[in-house]
Amino acid sequence: MPGRESGRVELLQGTLDLIVLRALATMGPQHAYGIAARLEQIAEHPFTLNQGTLYPALVRLEQRGWIKGTWQTTENRREAKYYAITKAGARALGEQTERWRRFAGLVDKLLLNESD
Amino acid sequence: MAGLRRLLAKLVDLLRPGRAEADLSRELASHLALLEDELLRRGLPAEQARRAARLSLGGVEQVKELHRDERSFVWLDDARRDLRHAVRLLRRDPLFALTAVLSLAIGIGANTTIFSVANALLFRAPAGVADPARLVDIGVGRQGVGFNPGSYPNYLDVRQRATTLDGVYASEMFGAPLGMGSAGNDGRGEVVSSRLVTANYFTVLGAHPAAGRLFAAGDGEQPGAAPVVVLSHRFWKRRFNEDPAIAGRTLRLNGHPFTVAGVAAEGFQGTHVLETDVWLPLGMIAAARPSEASLLANRGSGWLVMGGRLKPDVSVAQAAAELAAIGRALEREFPDQNRGKELRLRESSSIPGASGPVTALLALLMGVVSLVLVIACANVAGVLLARAAARRREIAVRLAIGAGQARLVRQLLTETAVLCGVGGLAGLLLARGLTSLLVSLLPRLPFPIDVSLGLDGRVILFTTGLSLVAALLCGLVPARQASQADVVSALKDDSPGASGRSRLRNAFVVAQVAFSLVLVVATGLFVRALRRAGSTDPGFDPRGVELVSVDPSAAGYGDVTGPLFARELIERVRELPDTESATIARVFPGGFEGIGLGGVTVPGDARASGEAPEWDWNIVEPGYFSTLRIPLVAGRDFGPSDRAGSPPVAIVGEAAARHFWPGENAIGRSLVQFGAGGPASKTATLLVVGVARDVKSSRLVDGLSSSFVYVPLQQRYTSNVMSSMTIAVRTSNGPRMAAEIRRLVASMNPNLPIVTVQTLEDYTALGLVPQHVVASVSGSLGLVGLLLAAIGIYGVTAHGVTRRMREFGIRVALGAKGADILVMVLRQGMSLAGIGCAIGLALAAAVSQVLTGFLFGLPPLDPLAFGGASALFLVTALAACYGPARRAARADPLVALRYE
Repeated sequence: MPGRESGRVELLQGTLDLIVLRALATMGPQHAYGIAARLEQIAEHPFTLNQGTLYPALVRLEQRGWIKGTWQTTENRREAKYYAITKAGARALGEQTERWRRFAGLVDKLLLNESD
Repeated sequence: MAGLRRLLAKLVDLLRPGRAEADLSRELASHLALLEDELLRRGLPAEQARRAARLSLGGVEQVKELHRDERSFVWLDDARRDLRHAVRLLRRDPLFALTAVLSLAIGIGANTTIFSVANALLFRAPAGVADPARLVDIGVGRQGVGFNPGSYPNYLDVRQRATTLDGVYASEMFGAPLGMGSAGNDGRGEVVSSRLVTANYFTVLGAHPAAGRLFAAGDGEQPGAAPVVVLSHRFWKRRFNEDPAIAGRTLRLNGHPFTVAGVAAEGFQGTHVLETDVWLPLGMIAAARPSEASLLANRGSGWLVMGGRLKPDVSVAQAAAELAAIGRALEREFPDQNRGKELRLRESSSIPGASGPVTALLALLMGVVSLVLVIACANVAGVLLARAAARRREIAVRLAIGAGQARLVRQLLTETAVLCGVGGLAGLLLARGLTSLLVSLLPRLPFPIDVSLGLDGRVILFTTGLSLVAALLCGLVPARQASQADVVSALKDDSPGASGRSRLRNAFVVAQVAFSLVLVVATGLFVRALRRAGSTDPGFDPRGVELVSVDPSAAGYGDVTGPLFARELIERVRELPDTESATIARVFPGGFEGIGLGGVTVPGDARASGEAPEWDWNIVEPGYFSTLRIPLVAGRDFGPSDRAGSPPVAIVGEAAARHFWPGENAIGRSLVQFGAGGPASKTATLLVVGVARDVKSSRLVDGLSSSFVYVPLQQRYTSNVMSSMTIAVRTSNGPRMAAEIRRLVASMNPNLPIVTVQTLEDYTALGLVPQHVVASVSGSLGLVGLLLAAIGIYGVTAHGVTRRMREFGIRVALGAKGADILVMVLRQGMSLAGIGCAIGLALAAAVSQVLTGFLFGLPPLDPLAFGGASALFLVTALAACYGPARRAARADPLVALRYE
């Protein structure tokens, strides 16, 4: 199974929220497609992400009050809902990043020990 | 903080689902547009760009679904949609909805009714009483059975000796009606119900006054010491409009002035069901009810219910053990009056001593009404199954396009839940009507009872739970069946109704018939038992006798005017056109009768005055024995010569005659009566002029006789004793004469209060109340069950006929006659009824074994009850099948073959 889905990145539960927050923090206000494009760009692989899966994360973050969506117009004169990170979101991003680092460090350490 | 925000957001979304949905659609459209722009920019042809965009997004509907799941409470949202769907479906089929709701309402309503009675009698905590769980009742039993009232001297000893109880109080078992007038107005007849209690009554119960004060230690039990009363809140409100200055006012009760001490807290009625308007200190018995003044000194006569409060850390069992020991000591010390009596202690209940039998009765009724609910559920389930059959295609389509099975079951259950919810509501309303009906079924009680059968929180909770259970009961099986539909065959083959499903439906009908039959058989048994009880000779004939009780002392009649008035009254009653015979007596058999006029013995018996055994006394006018049709075994009735001043005479019951003069003729012998209407030392000698057959009295049920000593009213009238006298009229052709007598009394003296009006039959029916109640409840419910079963049989048969119309057409085409088909359909319907009857009879046989205690020796397998019920059901089933069978018999081959 994993072999067949090698093109797609399976995200750990909850990490998508962190990634979206991080993207918005660095890029400034962005619409869903923009976020998706950014993620694909960073992953260095176009269309790795099923773009629709962003939406649950977006509504989750918005309901928590960490991001806020407003309707605006793109350079190409299309309307789109732009999400911006809020103050609470910025704070949460700091905490979540810290937690992720600790967690990832721990997993790294464990994996290193096991492979010895 | 963020979590709370999210919860709020979800709730907001739940209330305004459309807004977020529209926003999402717009957002997704813009997302696709942006993607397409990008793909076009990279040089893809327009058509390919659009497809690739959609592919990359991953399906608009799926994304919406994901978004919804994340955004809102999915299950709630689903439930709301299911609910709307269910209501729509039910409105499309109003006949089904109506019958289902109606049968559920009957089932739930009947259960709620019985539960509210149980709630009022067994579960509801008495109002205004502190910590009722620590209260106990103390009664007198014999050989471990019974819970009878005790005597005042015994109470005093119990109070003094009990160490496990924090205070022991006593109150009268049954209160007494008193005539009330206000100060300065002695006569105006208004009847209030009174109860004598010990001074510590309110203290032990932990009651608080709503105005003034309650009884204190000073309102002692010394005879006549404290002419004070405490009013019940309800009486204060009803009669005095909650006058805040009530304390200190004077009321005249039976002509005696009493000062109002205060008003008990709202709702306070002690711990028992009997309702009281005014409480009097026990010491005032001579003023309130002079005839019973000697009760305070008499150790032998039981009239007081005792109660107490457990000391902290004392268990009911410990207190009961102590009371039993005190009881044994009292039996040793006063063997004459306490022989065979034991003291029993129980947790306090609203019906002291009766809670066992009442619980049993209510459990029985609860069983009956549960059966009705089961029948109603079976009925609804049956119809639901039929509908499920009709909806097979719809459900198969839903399954085919990917609806989950659990989701489908939930949706189908929602439908039943709506039915049961509406049914439960209707049931609650029905229960309100049924409770008042149930109360009206009871014979009129001689004392007011305080049972508020209101729908309180507990009842509503019960009904809600019941509705849920009903929904599960009648919805789960059909829903599971329906959702397991085999998609392929359902879609391929249009003919509805797999055989398995019909079998299940048939099973429901069989169950309905069986359970309803049990109810009808039980009714038959009770009706037969009641007739048998009615036919056992009570020693008097209560049929066609009307009783009207008046209180002459309240209207100011004294020892001289009273007997004259009584004589004139009865003569004028005898002149009424419909009167066959009439009399006046102090009490009548069959109720809670028997007054005490002191001990009685034969001359030469050396026993001290207070120690002579008590007999039941009655004071009667001539004609008592002929009016009640009590045969005189020897001697004569009282007559005009037995008047004030002539030698005192008496008529004794057979058992009393045997007791005093075994094997000898009692006529012409003398009896010595102690404490005749005065101090215990005063004696009177009575000449026995007649011997009357003994009557079965309030003990009609257990068949024990009681022996009376009768004395003539004209000789023995004292206004003290005759605080109540009852006119009895045997009417010649059965019209109710109460109104005529009422007019007559009013024309003779408008100030004379009429205390009660009832028939002697009602009066004597008290002992048979449980049987009457069960018979009427199971009877009416059994008929409802029968009706439901008939609907069920009709439904199954009609549905089967509709389904097989084509088959019948072919049969007719092949030469079958209409009559053949008629018989075939009838046979199928009747076989269901037959199986149901067989199972029902077996069940009823088992149930009737449990009921034997209520049946007065009626054989539990009474052929009439069983046979009659079966016949009734088979005839009903035949009637229910006949309509559809006729339709089947008229099957037209041409129409039938075109039928689909």
